[in-house]
Amino acid sequence: MNNLTLLVFLPLVGALLVAATPKAAVSAQRAITLVTMLATMVLGLSVCLDFDGASAAAQHVIERPWFSLPGASGSVPIAFKLGLDGISVLMVALTALLGPIVVLSTWGHIHERVKEFMVWLLVMQTGMLGVFLSLDLVLFYVFWEVSLVPLYFILGIWGGDRRLYATIKFFLYTLSGSLVMMIAVIALLYQLGTADIPTLIERVSSLPHGTQVWMFGAFALAFCIKVPVMPFHTWLPDAHTEAPTSGSVILAGVLLKMGTYGLLRFCIQMFPGISLEAAPWMMGLGAAGIVYGAWLASAQNDIKRLVACSSVSHLGYVVLGLFALTQAGLRGSVLQMVNHGISTGLLFLLVGMIYERRHTRALDQYGGIASVMPVYAVFFVVTVLSSVGLPGLNGFVGEYLILLGSFQASPWIAAVSVTGVIFGAVYLLMATRKFLWGPVTHKANEGLADLGAREVGLMVPLVVLCFWIGFAPNTFLDRTDGSIDALVKRIDAARAVRTAALAPVEAPLVATEGETR
Amino acid sequence: MSTLQSWAALAVLAPLAAALLCVVLPPLRKAGKPAAALCLLSSLVSAGSALYLLTQHETGSVSRTTIPWIVFGGKAIASIGVHVDATSVVMLVVVTMVALCVQIFSTAYMHDEKPSSYGRYFTLHALFLFSMNTLVVAPNLMQLFAGWELVGLTSYLLIGFWFQKPSAAKASVKAFWMTKLADMGFVFALLVLFVATRGFEWSARLSTETATLVTALLFLAVVGKSAQFPLHVWLPDAMEGPTPVSALLHAATMVAAGVFLIVRADPLFAQAPATRDVMLWIGSGTALFAACLALVQTDIKKVLAYSTCSQLGYMVAALGAGSAFAGFFHLGTHAFFKALLFLGAGSVIHAVHSNELADMGGLRKKMPWTALTFGLGALSLAGVPGLAGFFSKDHVLSELEGRAGWIPWALLMLTSFLTAFYMGRVLIKAFGGAPSAKAHHAHESGGAMLLPLFVLAVPAVGAGFFGGKLAEWSGAEYHLHLGLTPIVASCLALGGIFAALAVFGRGKTAPFTSVLEGLDRASAVDRTWAGLYRHVLLGVSAVMGFIDRYVVDGLMNAIGYSTIESGASVRRLQTGRIHDYAMAVVVGALLIVLWGVLR
Repeated sequence: MNNLTLLVFLPLVGALLVAATPKAAVSAQRAITLVTMLATMVLGLSVCLDFDGASAAAQHVIERPWFSLPGASGSVPIAFKLGLDGISVLMVALTALLGPIVVLSTWGHIHERVKEFMVWLLVMQTGMLGVFLSLDLVLFYVFWEVSLVPLYFILGIWGGDRRLYATIKFFLYTLSGSLVMMIAVIALLYQLGTADIPTLIERVSSLPHGTQVWMFGAFALAFCIKVPVMPFHTWLPDAHTEAPTSGSVILAGVLLKMGTYGLLRFCIQMFPGISLEAAPWMMGLGAAGIVYGAWLASAQNDIKRLVACSSVSHLGYVVLGLFALTQAGLRGSVLQMVNHGISTGLLFLLVGMIYERRHTRALDQYGGIASVMPVYAVFFVVTVLSSVGLPGLNGFVGEYLILLGSFQASPWIAAVSVTGVIFGAVYLLMATRKFLWGPVTHKANEGLADLGAREVGLMVPLVVLCFWIGFAPNTFLDRTDGSIDALVKRIDAARAVRTAALAPVEAPLVATEGETR
Repeated sequence: MSTLQSWAALAVLAPLAAALLCVVLPPLRKAGKPAAALCLLSSLVSAGSALYLLTQHETGSVSRTTIPWIVFGGKAIASIGVHVDATSVVMLVVVTMVALCVQIFSTAYMHDEKPSSYGRYFTLHALFLFSMNTLVVAPNLMQLFAGWELVGLTSYLLIGFWFQKPSAAKASVKAFWMTKLADMGFVFALLVLFVATRGFEWSARLSTETATLVTALLFLAVVGKSAQFPLHVWLPDAMEGPTPVSALLHAATMVAAGVFLIVRADPLFAQAPATRDVMLWIGSGTALFAACLALVQTDIKKVLAYSTCSQLGYMVAALGAGSAFAGFFHLGTHAFFKALLFLGAGSVIHAVHSNELADMGGLRKKMPWTALTFGLGALSLAGVPGLAGFFSKDHVLSELEGRAGWIPWALLMLTSFLTAFYMGRVLIKAFGGAPSAKAHHAHESGGAMLLPLFVLAVPAVGAGFFGGKLAEWSGAEYHLHLGLTPIVASCLALGGIFAALAVFGRGKTAPFTSVLEGLDRASAVDRTWAGLYRHVLLGVSAVMGFIDRYVVDGLMNAIGYSTIESGASVRRLQTGRIHDYAMAVVVGALLIVLWGVLR
C-alpha cells in the first residue's frame, strides 16, 4: 500500500476501532484516538521530510482507476489519485501535527459522548488529509464534503448555548459554497474529459474565455466562503464562539486553510490568466479583510469572537499574498497559512484552557491573570507576539513576504494592508492588557490553577515551531521552491499572453509603454 | 568570520544565551539571584567584547559577515549577520557599558522584589541587550528593523514590569502602540527600498524621489522611537517602569536607536535633502517644546524624560543639518550623562520612596555621593564648559550655524538656556534647601548603587575628549574653536544655572510657570491621540461591529431564510433534519471512496 493511502486512511481505521469500543470505555477511546493521531503524525511528517522541494512534480503518487462518468467526448475516467507537491506539503505537515494536539486538548473539555467525538475527529482528519493530497477532482470533492460534516456534528452536539444557530449557519454557508463548486467541477469534467488535476491544469486554457471566467468564479466563491473572505465571513465568529475548543482549533488550524489552499490550487494554478484579471479585486478583498477584521476585533468583548475576527484579518493577508501572484507573495502566503494555523490554533487552545477553569469568555471577567497563572501568561504573550508579527517569530516572515509581494503588484493595496500591522497590535495588546495585566479584580479568578503538564506539553511543539519558522524559515520555504517556481512561470506565461492580446488595442494610444506590464 | 566579527557576534549572542537559559529553565529564573548572576555575566562578556573591539579598531576599517535568513530559489532576499565599523563599535561600547552599569545598579534597586520577579527582571534585561546589540551590529536595514521591533517588545515588557499596577499596564501598551504606529513607516520604507534595489542596504543609490520617500518613511519610525513631536507622548508615561529601566531603555539606548538608524542610513538621507529639512525643524522644535515642559514637572523622572525628548531633538536637528557625526557624538555623551542622572534619581527615589521633587530636598547632606555624581551629570547635560555634554552640544550647535535663517540654531540656543535652568531647578529642589518630611530619614545608597554612579560619572565628565578620535573614525571635521557658538552656548548654560539659583534658590517660581503648567495640564497632543484612539478607532470599530452584526450578517441571514421559505414547498420529500442530510453525505462519500480503494 502506498504511504499516502495509508496516511489518509489510518485515521479512518482508528475511527472504526473507536466505534467498536463499548460506550463507557472512555479511556480506551481516548487512547486509541491519541495513538492513531500520533501514528498519523509520524507518518505524515516522515512523508513530508521524504519530499524533494526542488522538484515541481507530485511525489509519492498513487493512481488507481476508479469509475467513469459520461462526458462531452466519451466517458471521463475518474481515478483514486493521491500525491504530494510543494503546494500541499506544508498543509499536510500542519494537519498531521495538529491531530494529536487537538486530541490532547479534548481531555479538558469533552466529557460527554466521548466516543462519538473521537470518531468525528478521526473522520475529519481523513477528510482534511484527503483534501490536501487528492490529485483527482472528484476525489477532492468527496474529501471536501467528508471534512465538512464532522465539524457540523462537533458544533451541534458539543457546542455552546447558541450552537444550533451557529451550526445551521455554518452548514448553509459551506454547503452553498460546495454546491456552486460542484457545478464547476461537473462542467470541467464534462467539457475536458478528465478529472486528473495535473492534466486539467494543462488543458483548462483550451476552454473559451467566458467559460473559464465563470468556472473561476464558482471555485473562488466556494473557497472565499470557506476562508472566509469578507463579506462572507459572518459564519466564522458564530461558529468559533459556539464550538468547543478542539473544534475551534481544527477549524482555525486546518479547515479554513482548505479555502486558501483551494484558491491556490484551483483558482490560481488552474486559471492563471483569469487570476491575473481578478487579482486587483481579490487583493482588494484581502486588504479589506485585513483592516475590517482588525477593526471588528477591537470591538469585541467575547475573547473567542475576538480571535475569530483576528482570523478574518490574518487570512486576509493570505488572500492578498496569493493574488499578488508574485514569488514573494505566493511563498509568503503558503508560509502564512502554516503560521496562522499555529498562532491561531495556540490562541484558541489558550482561550479554551482558561474557559475550562472560569466558564466565561467575557474579557471583562478577567484581569490580572498573569499574577495567578504566570506560565499561562508566558504562553499567551508569546502567542500574541507571534500573531502580531514580531521579528524572530513565525508571523513576521509570512506577513513580510506577503507585503513585499503585494507591494510589487500594487503599492496602494499594500499600503492599506500595512495599517493592519498597527491594528493587529491594537486589539491583541488591548486584549492582553485587559486579560493578563492589572490587579486581580474578580474573586473567582484568585484561585485559578496554572497550566498542568499536559497543557504545557501540547503547546510546546507549536511554540517551538513559532521560533523555528521565525529564525530559520528556509526549512519550510525550501519545500515549496519547485512548485512555486513552476507556478510563477505559468503566471508569467499567462501575463505574456495577456499583454500580447491587449497590446494591439493599446499600441496606438501608448506606443512607448507597450511593455510596462 | 574574522576574529573581530566573532567578537561582535559574541557581544550579541552572550545575552541571548543567558535569556534563553532563564526562559527554558524556570527554576533558574524563579530562584532570582542565580538568574541575575547569569545575566550580569553575559553583559560583562558583551561589554568586554565591545571594549576589545574598540581597542582593535582602526580608522576606516569595515568588515561584515552575513548568513542567509529568508531564501528562495537559492537566492537570499534577507540575511542576518554582523557589521563591524566605527559606528557599530562605538555604539556597542556605549550600549553594553550603560547596560552593565544599570544591571549592577538594579541588583540593589530591585532587591525587594520576590525572587521570581527578580529573575524575570534580569531575563528581560538580557533579552533587551540581545535585541539592542542585534540592532547595533546589523549589516542591513532588515536586521536593524528586527532588532528595532525586539527592543520595542522588551520596552513594552519592562515598562509593564509591575503589571499589577493599572497605570503601568496602560503605559506599556501606549508605548507599544505609539511606536508601532510609527513603525509602519519602517515597514514601508523597507518595501520601497526592496522594490527599488532588491535589497535592504543603507548604501543604496536611489533616485531623489525614492530616496525622499524611503527616508521620510524611516524618519516617521524615528519620530516614534526617539519620542519626537508629535509622537513623544509615550515617553513620559513610560516612566512607570522601574527607574533603572528608564535609565537604560528610555534615556540612554533604546530611544537613541532612532538617531542611530539615521546615522546608519546616512548615505540614504544624504540623497534626500527634503527629509533633512523636515528633521531640522522637528528636531529643534521638539527640543524647545520638551524643555519647556520639563521645567514644570514635579516628578523627577518626568523632568528627565522630557529632557530626553529635548536632547534627542538636538541629535535629530544635527542629523537634519547633515552632520551624522554631531548627532552620533551627542548620542554617545548623552547616553552616559542621562543614564547617570536616571540612576542618581533612582538612588534618591529608593531613599525617599517617592518620585516627587516636593518629597525631596536637602539630600546633599544625607546622600553626598549621589548628590555629587548627579550634580556632575546635571552640569554635563546643562552644557557647562569642559564637561562631555558641552562638547557634543556645542558641535551640534556649530553645525546649525546659518541653517534655515538661523532659526533652528536660535531655538536650540534657547533650549540650552532652559536645559541649564530646569536642571538647576532639580538640583536645588532635590539636593538643596531643607529636607522634606520624607527626606528626613533618607540615607546614602549602598555600594552596588553607588559604583555604577561613579563609573558613569567618568564618561559623563570626560567623554567629550573622545570627540576627536570619533571624528577621525567617522571621517568628519572636528576641532575646538573659539567662535560665536561656543561662547554664546557657554554663557547661556552658566546663565541658566545662575538664573535657577536666583529663582529657585530663593524659593520663587519662574516667570511663565503658570503658562507652561497650563500647557502641561492641557497636554493637547496627548489628548489628541487619546481622542483619536477612543473616538475614532474604538468608535469606528463599534460601528463596524454593529454593521457586521446587523447589516452584513443580517443580509446573509435574510438570504438564508428566504431560501428556506421557498424550500418549504418541497418539504415533504425531505425529513427536514440537517442531521440526516449530513449523515447521508458523509456515509455516502466514504462508501464511494472505500469502493474505489478496495476495487
